[in-house]
Amino acid sequence: MSEILTYLGKDEEYEVYELFFGPNHPGMSGNFSYILTVDGHTIKKVSPDPGLLHRGFEKLVERRLWLQNIALIPRICVPEPDINEMVYSTAIEKLCHIDVPLRASYIRTIVLEMARLSAFLFGFGGIGGTTGLYTASYWSISDRDYLLDLFEWLTGARVYHMYILPGGVRRDLPNGWTEKLKETIDYLQKRLNEYDRLIYNNPLVIKRLKGLGKIEKELAIEYGITGPNLKATGVKYDIRKMVPYAAYDKIDFDIPSQNEGDGLARAIQRREEFQLSLDIIRKALKDIPDGPVRANMPNPLKFKVPKGEVYVKIESARGEHAYYIVSDGGDKPYRMAVRGGSYTAGLILAQKVLVGCRIEDVALWMATMDICPPDFDR
Amino acid sequence: MNQKELIEYIKNNFKGIENIKSIDEKQFSITVQKERIINILSFLKLSNFKELALITAVDWIKEEKIEVVYILFSYEYEQQLIVKTYIDRQEPSIESIKNLWEIATMYERDVHEFFGIDFIGNDDKRPLILHNWKDIPPLRKDFDSLKYSNTIFGKFKKDKE
Amino acid sequence: MELYSTKKLKDEGFEQILNFFRKKSLWMLHYCTGCGAVELPPTMTSRWDMERFGMGPMATPRQADLLLITGYLSLKSLKRVIYTYEQMQNPKWVIALGSCPINGGIYYDSYSVINRLALYIPVDLSIEGCMPRPEAIIEGFIKLMKQIENGEAVGYKKYQENYKWYKQNQDSVLKREFPVLSGEEK
Repeated sequence: MSEILTYLGKDEEYEVYELFFGPNHPGMSGNFSYILTVDGHTIKKVSPDPGLLHRGFEKLVERRLWLQNIALIPRICVPEPDINEMVYSTAIEKLCHIDVPLRASYIRTIVLEMARLSAFLFGFGGIGGTTGLYTASYWSISDRDYLLDLFEWLTGARVYHMYILPGGVRRDLPNGWTEKLKETIDYLQKRLNEYDRLIYNNPLVIKRLKGLGKIEKELAIEYGITGPNLKATGVKYDIRKMVPYAAYDKIDFDIPSQNEGDGLARAIQRREEFQLSLDIIRKALKDIPDGPVRANMPNPLKFKVPKGEVYVKIESARGEHAYYIVSDGGDKPYRMAVRGGSYTAGLILAQKVLVGCRIEDVALWMATMDICPPDFDR
Repeated sequence: MNQKELIEYIKNNFKGIENIKSIDEKQFSITVQKERIINILSFLKLSNFKELALITAVDWIKEEKIEVVYILFSYEYEQQLIVKTYIDRQEPSIESIKNLWEIATMYERDVHEFFGIDFIGNDDKRPLILHNWKDIPPLRKDFDSLKYSNTIFGKFKKDKE
Repeated sequence: MELYSTKKLKDEGFEQILNFFRKKSLWMLHYCTGCGAVELPPTMTSRWDMERFGMGPMATPRQADLLLITGYLSLKSLKRVIYTYEQMQNPKWVIALGSCPINGGIYYDSYSVINRLALYIPVDLSIEGCMPRPEAIIEGFIKLMKQIENGEAVGYKKYQENYKWYKQNQDSVLKREFPVLSGEEK
């Protein structure tokens, strides 16, 4: 393992060591590192060390045309790339006042929910992997492949789709795709019972997760925690419901929430949201209207966005994923700031919550918070 | 309160707002002077804008200004609020708001690294994301990314046979 | 068999036989350096099942044979990758996944991402694509196995022989004392 122990000398009571947790650690989700100061097994201090995945997106988008950036930005968040396209397209539509055809909105909803499902399946695997239940990751990763196959059929790519464009989506649903999607949804519904038996009713998982990294409601709001992690503390707030985008305002759904705010509540919240995503896709498939899938757009090479600024946020599997976009009326974005869903959780909350935990809890805590380093490294 | 009432409320209760503008039905922006930034943010925090979503900056090179942007959110009114202020580009500095929001420490450290803005009162200026950075801060507009990349990483360097 | 003739054995020692066995048990280091790592779990798990080739993930660099560079490498990661590579025992191999380690890919103009990995550590095999599909990754593995058997994958020897050259390149990006643009250093 890459951990290097540095002896920091004797404190009054304890012998204190510095432990490099990650980047090359099997429990680490992605390329990221915490420097832990430990006394025996108990953590005394946490300092995050991000930047290992820094690519400078905020600079790169300023060098490319508005529509060229569609190819670049999905790479900001790897497990759930479609949210980036959605935020970016919505921002351009808001600045240019473009109306999206209704069918395109429904297709966007379906694609976003599919991306959510695949991100949650990754999350299930993460909880399984960090508790030693490797079966869970073997199941969920191969279930995720059914969704990726559908994505491939629809967009031509498994991971980075570049499907949602300003003004609509790239192309209509292929023949027979919706039937296959329905089959997959039914299959995943059936599998969810199996996951319940494997993970959520498993005494071992419950024992490990109960009380892990408990967050209070006020602290969560103060620290900017969003998404499923916030809902697990009891705040019933969902961007899909409150500031609807795509076709979420036309679909009727209820937001699940938990009260405890600990690791178990977060895991169960993700399981409930998995169910919610399945329901939303079913409803969207039932209501989807006919019509065009793209609004008329000007020539991409001469495409200019009027002057202005806008902050667009959407609900990703790990919280509020948002861009602050400024245009000076030119053919390139003047400034784009990225607010990743796990920025505050991974970099700031960790310093507070992980103190007093044991070393083996760090990886599990990261799995329950669903921390994704690429979106805060940018 | 809806957005209109909220704008009225802020206008009536806080003096010194330069500009207040609605962006869409769920968000609006406020421009204030640099000296009043702590006042307005603490006022807004007391008026239920409890979540600090992001601190960032925009480099307006032609105007010789840097715009510092604070994005707040209120769970009560469900309104997004963008608070902006302009500072000098040559010696950019502004008061830190780490006493209002603890998480601002990390955001300010981030903005300091990428824009070179000095947040007075926030001493945490250790590099966060970049490795061994010696040039001008990378998100300044006069920093040329392609030239940097070609110089340091070598466009046509040969492999060892 | 020509391949294992006594003359060859005398000339090259037991290298040939060793290589035959080495290719059958490759342990891959569990280190996700970039976004290509998202296609590794499907490669490892039930659908593509890497284990049928005798490959598996390994947590520690000291017992791993194979270092996968999954996509772009930022400067900060490059430092860790070099540490990790030097910790690994000989023989060791490096596979670079995706377009970014070849020429920078979509990040060719980024200030943080290196353009060509082969300048800093020897790369035995590059798999192109953004990102490579699991089939492509597996084909790459099979190709590497063939290279190992034929004794062609000798990146680690190259690294020992040309250590100075590699070290110089590494230092030129990692240990700078002057600004890159408009710096005093030329």
